[in-house]
Amino acid sequence: MTAEPDAPVDADAAPLGVSARPPRSLARAYWPVAATGALLALVPLWLGEERLMMRLAVDALVFGLYAVGFNVIFGSTNQLFLCVGALAGLGGYAAVILTEEAALPMAAGLVLATALATAVGGLLSWVAVRRSLGVIFTGIVTLTFSLSFANLLLGQRELTGGETGLVVSAGAGFLEDRIAAYYLFLGMLVVFLAVFRALQRSHVGWAFRALRDNELAAELAGVDVARYRVYAGLIGSAMLGITGAVYAHSNEFISPSTFAFGHVDVRVLVMLAFGGLGTLLGPVVGTVVFAVLDEILVDTGQLRTVLYGLLIIVLFLGFKRGVVPAVTDFLHLLARRARSRVGRPS
Amino acid sequence: MTAVVLDGIVLGLQFGLLGVGMTLVYGLGGVLNLAYGQAAVLAAMVVAITLGDGAPALVATAAGLLAAAAGGVVIDRTLLRPVYRLRGEHRVLLGLLLTLGVAFVVDGLLLWRYPTGALRLAIGGEAVPILGVRMRVGSLWASGISLAVGAVLWLFFRATTLGRAVRSAIQDEVGARLIGINPAAVRTFIFALSGALAGLVAVTRSMTSPVSVTAGFDFTILALIVAVVGGLGSVAGAFLAGVLLGIISTVSAFYIGQYITTIVLLAAAALTIVMRPRGLLGRQV
Repeated sequence: MTAEPDAPVDADAAPLGVSARPPRSLARAYWPVAATGALLALVPLWLGEERLMMRLAVDALVFGLYAVGFNVIFGSTNQLFLCVGALAGLGGYAAVILTEEAALPMAAGLVLATALATAVGGLLSWVAVRRSLGVIFTGIVTLTFSLSFANLLLGQRELTGGETGLVVSAGAGFLEDRIAAYYLFLGMLVVFLAVFRALQRSHVGWAFRALRDNELAAELAGVDVARYRVYAGLIGSAMLGITGAVYAHSNEFISPSTFAFGHVDVRVLVMLAFGGLGTLLGPVVGTVVFAVLDEILVDTGQLRTVLYGLLIIVLFLGFKRGVVPAVTDFLHLLARRARSRVGRPS
Repeated sequence: MTAVVLDGIVLGLQFGLLGVGMTLVYGLGGVLNLAYGQAAVLAAMVVAITLGDGAPALVATAAGLLAAAAGGVVIDRTLLRPVYRLRGEHRVLLGLLLTLGVAFVVDGLLLWRYPTGALRLAIGGEAVPILGVRMRVGSLWASGISLAVGAVLWLFFRATTLGRAVRSAIQDEVGARLIGINPAAVRTFIFALSGALAGLVAVTRSMTSPVSVTAGFDFTILALIVAVVGGLGSVAGAFLAGVLLGIISTVSAFYIGQYITTIVLLAAAALTIVMRPRGLLGRQV
């Protein structure tokens, strides 16, 4: 399809941000990760007494982990994976079934489940790349995978418990304490963010930026676009798989709705779009803001769906690049102003 | 077996109409309308409410279709304007996300106001034997209406100036503009038509099984599958794919089971994209 010929084509107006280079110095590159960890580590001191609030905080962190994984796949390489919940669910169900039915030790179950999710995600990515599906068709294919997976969960009743779900009896005992679970997931978040930053700083990140900003130019400059897309698919899917697996063990109970498309994918997409696609802290900002928002909107029932819808519309019309890039730009602008004021004799 | 295939055709004709509405909007506006199913549900709810107020079925249906068509026009004229300024994948992506937002808003509002809303058009009368199979009157009506509307659409696209204008705008927007067609006006018209088609399918579906207020997402997915298999932008392809998928769906539901059927339909869409991205009858993309 073509746009109207007289319509201005505004590349910046795309909902995909342009990735900035990460800082060179080690300290400047990793301090946001450390600061995030330190700040979020204070949350249980504040909420620790309230079991329900801690439960919500843990769920919020899990969504943050999903968002980082999705950020590697979609935010960094433009592969619209509409199967975040399904890949996490694959990890979760595989981990539980392997430990409960096949009586494997929990660690082995976690490793195998993560490997399975990684393999499936990598395969999806490979197919999308090989058939050069583009954003939309990648989205539709992964969406069909999501919905098929949800149907399989419902259909394979004897293995998955169908709609009623699975009770995870062999859960790790210490994870039943919500505060312990919180710190475990926070640790995972810090590790994920560090991995994301390390990727950004490596040649992989360089390739990601190149292929995201202009795929054709990247290809011409010698970037093996296909290979790096599959890398992103594998790394992101591994993050999703292990998050789903650990969550299943910590939650004592999983059901298809735990990993449902409408529950996970939409939220992760909105969170990440709000925070800023492809940015280090975008997932964190999205997580915190939406956790607070959920708490505020808790009594609104169906109207919450309406508000979510409005938010999606406003976000994508207004803040196309997300909050983190907008704030960074603003800070850069302030810094430049300050510098020019110092340099210029008044 | 005949009964299963006939049921499949009944279902498939409706799948076809559903797919046509989706495929037209994509072909012309470059937007995958994720709020498409919500138009169907909106129509169903309006029909149910006006019927409840004592209006005759025809009037109620007309009101429902009008509401869905109006919804389409409003979205096209307001929300999607910035989308049309973009090009290529950015355009489709922004369209996708904005219509997703619309879907949530409509779903949330309908669920909030009518949490248990559902439309069921009961059509009385004795079952009619066709090819030795007793078909319910509701199924016959649903197929008859779908066929008639399909035929009207076909004539419209072949034989009327407006229909030809639509086809030319789908093929080449710049070319259409050069011969004096206003693509924006055609697009608005298509959004109205697409909304009305979604509403119509909701009404014909309700003749055989209830259409509940939560059915929006399912309608959208179904329309997406049909449109993709038929080839995005191809009206005939959508119809063909609809009938094929309808038959596949009832046959597999009968012999294998319901949940596998959904997976079969989804796999059909995924395979089509991977093997033949332009679909059954689509143009080269």
